[in-house]
Amino acid sequence: MNDLAVRFSGVHKQYRHFHLADIDLELPTGSIMGFIGANGAGKSTTLRILMGLVHQDRGAVEVLGQSMPSQQAQAKADIGFVAEDMRLYKWATLAWHMDFIASIYPGWDAAYAAELVRRFDIRPEQKMRGMSHGQRVKAGLLLALARRPRLLVLDEPTTGLDPVARHEVLGALMEVLTDESRTVLFSSQNTLDVEQISDQITFIDRGRIIDSADKESYLERWRRVRLDVPPDVILPALDDVVARSTTGRLTVLTSNRFTAAMAEACAAAGATVNSIETMTLEEIFLANVQQRREKEAA
Amino acid sequence: MSAPQRRTMIRALVLKDWYYMRWSIAAYLTLGAVALILVASGSEGSFYAGSVLLVTLLISLGIHLSMATVVEERTGQTLPFIMSLPISPGDYTTAKVIANLGIFLIPWTALLTGTIAVIAGRAAINDGLIPFAVIILTWILLSYCMNLAVALVSESQAWSIGAMVVGNLAFQAVLYAVSHIPSIALSMKGDVALWPPAARLLLLGEIGAIVLLLAFTFHMQGRKTDFV
Repeated sequence: MNDLAVRFSGVHKQYRHFHLADIDLELPTGSIMGFIGANGAGKSTTLRILMGLVHQDRGAVEVLGQSMPSQQAQAKADIGFVAEDMRLYKWATLAWHMDFIASIYPGWDAAYAAELVRRFDIRPEQKMRGMSHGQRVKAGLLLALARRPRLLVLDEPTTGLDPVARHEVLGALMEVLTDESRTVLFSSQNTLDVEQISDQITFIDRGRIIDSADKESYLERWRRVRLDVPPDVILPALDDVVARSTTGRLTVLTSNRFTAAMAEACAAAGATVNSIETMTLEEIFLANVQQRREKEAA
Repeated sequence: MSAPQRRTMIRALVLKDWYYMRWSIAAYLTLGAVALILVASGSEGSFYAGSVLLVTLLISLGIHLSMATVVEERTGQTLPFIMSLPISPGDYTTAKVIANLGIFLIPWTALLTGTIAVIAGRAAINDGLIPFAVIILTWILLSYCMNLAVALVSESQAWSIGAMVVGNLAFQAVLYAVSHIPSIALSMKGDVALWPPAARLLLLGEIGAIVLLLAFTFHMQGRKTDFV
């Protein structure tokens, strides 16, 4: 049995003003990956390629053991997909959509669907036309979750939601994640959402994956070190420092592979270590993107 | 995916489009019945009024169908929802062609049969008009297939409108040209429905063009790489 739910190898997609380059990505079965990137970074294109909605120019994509896009029909039988820009039929009610999906997916769980209707506080008899953005997102999520998919692909599902709707959506997702056999790929610009539910994080910027690791490893590896550096002290050359800023005597180092030896080396050179701070996922993402863009510009 | 699973999926998509268009189909069928009653009612004026209504209805239905069930899926951003279901691009195209042709062929067949019956049943109308009517109604079917092909391949409102304009202009030209082909013009005045070689060739050409258009649609859909 293949223990990878998703595998991208050297995937490339060229558009007139954007290209996705050399995407290598592996998502083990049962994991929850947060896919973080700015607007236009390539998150949606990557997920659309995964779904077979967009075909890659080159490279291989395998989803649930099926090659994409050639075997997309088989793969999609086990995938639930929700995207921020995906719409349901405005002329139809949610109940009609539920019947429609139930007629296609033998694993449709009507009891779970009814429970989600209650939890999301949406009315099945209401037409999509009259629903707010938050209600539409919740309806889409309901349709994806109640078919009990092996892989859940969510493209910015929380974008544009008010705090209450966001909380409800994230709550439902967290519950889904208690099923360890289910794999989730969740893209967002909102690092807080991703941090809450993901165990793996992938950063994408300007069409390239810039880092991918498990969440704990990110949080453990990245540190911000604040130093008081007297004028006559020269800091040693340090590996794994991705950013350095100096204002007067105060120097701030950002490291993506922090070790105690790093702080000791600074102290040995005559600097005073004022603090060693953990970083939030958002700060790590921003530092990562900035580092890569500086490298590109150099 | 197994063949029965694919059939289930295609059937679900076809039924979805038919459900969406159910009131429109009922309206077109009702108006079509009115047109046939006018054609059959006796006076020359009502015959022409009924004929014009008949043709207008078929052309309108063709435009309405391809815009509502194909182009609107792209502009309304429901295409990603449909394409996220367990279907291939080929299944999607098959479902769209079946759903659309299915809807169009119901009133088209009813109107073709009704027109032939009215011409054959009324002594005041020459039976020789039957080949001409069949050729013109088949042209409308061909024109509809062109609209459907352009809508499916381009998914663009602008291209679809362009195809409709071309189809409508061509219809006027075909109406004039066919009625001025000497052998057909002569047979139209006869009491018996005769199929001169030119009429048979035209009809075969139309049917061939329909088959080619559908094949072209499947071919182009197979090459498409973007479904959002």
